[in-house]
Amino acid sequence: MKNKIFIIPGLVFFLILLIFFYLLTMDRNPSEIPSNLINKNVPNFKADTLLKKKKFISTVEFGNEVVLVNFFATWCKPCRDEHVYIKSLANKNEIRVIGINYKDNPKKAIEWLKTLGNPYSDIPLDENGRIAIDWGVYGIPETFVVGSDKIIKYRHVGPITKKIYKKINLLVENLK
Amino acid sequence: MIPKKIFTLIISIFLVNSFTIVSLSVEPDEILKDKNQETRARNISKKIRCMVCQNQSIDESNSPLAKDLRLLIRSKIKEGKKDKEIYNFLTDRYGDFILLNPPIRSGTILLWFLPVIFIFFGLFIIFNHNKKSKKI
Repeated sequence: MKNKIFIIPGLVFFLILLIFFYLLTMDRNPSEIPSNLINKNVPNFKADTLLKKKKFISTVEFGNEVVLVNFFATWCKPCRDEHVYIKSLANKNEIRVIGINYKDNPKKAIEWLKTLGNPYSDIPLDENGRIAIDWGVYGIPETFVVGSDKIIKYRHVGPITKKIYKKINLLVENLK
Repeated sequence: MIPKKIFTLIISIFLVNSFTIVSLSVEPDEILKDKNQETRARNISKKIRCMVCQNQSIDESNSPLAKDLRLLIRSKIKEGKKDKEIYNFLTDRYGDFILLNPPIRSGTILLWFLPVIFIFFGLFIIFNHNKKSKKI
């Protein structure tokens, strides 16, 4: 009788061990935080643009079609890595991509786009990082998929990899 | 035996350390002139998670985003926003995760009450165990 009571803590310990092991080995990124903006309207903002003389007004630009929003900067190395996929999404799949230039030097940004290619249809400037805060951005690159109903459907933190590229592709095809 | 000089040195180092204010990341140009407003800003900052470092508050972190948020909180205070409005502004954008203290919600009830349940469970086991051993 007495031994049985002592088996229970052992079992519980083993169970906890199993749970920890499962959480450790499962495919997840612990630094990824669920976005609070999914299924919500795009934040409203106005900003100067890098290449055009007109202002970017979010209420005008969103709501017509599916749009990809990509926060990038020239000082951000992973942004350079994901650029191939952004280009592919814009050119091959004909998705409208808006690149929000985060706390960057406009001259450097123009140079950067000249050498790597410009997949962005518009480039609003986020000089002080306020737009990013409204989008709940905490580390660039970050990418959002906005539906034609102005609602944010998907968010990815970090550079787009082949896996994420396929995921975004599929999602946009379904939204179209 | 510790020589007297070394002993006084250790004591003085200890004293100096206990009088220095813990250095935080709030930079001089961020500080508001109004003392009450500044303390409010500091109090809020201590409860807001730095999303980049994740286990620091924005009051302690020197990441650029933490600085932006500290400045934002101060400008909201200057605008006359209440603390609650500022917290809501932040959780609307970053979710409950930005609060270092998780609020009680249906998803976090277990987190808050499981320790209490465990204490009672433990007390129950101890009580039962003692009862049995007394009989013998």
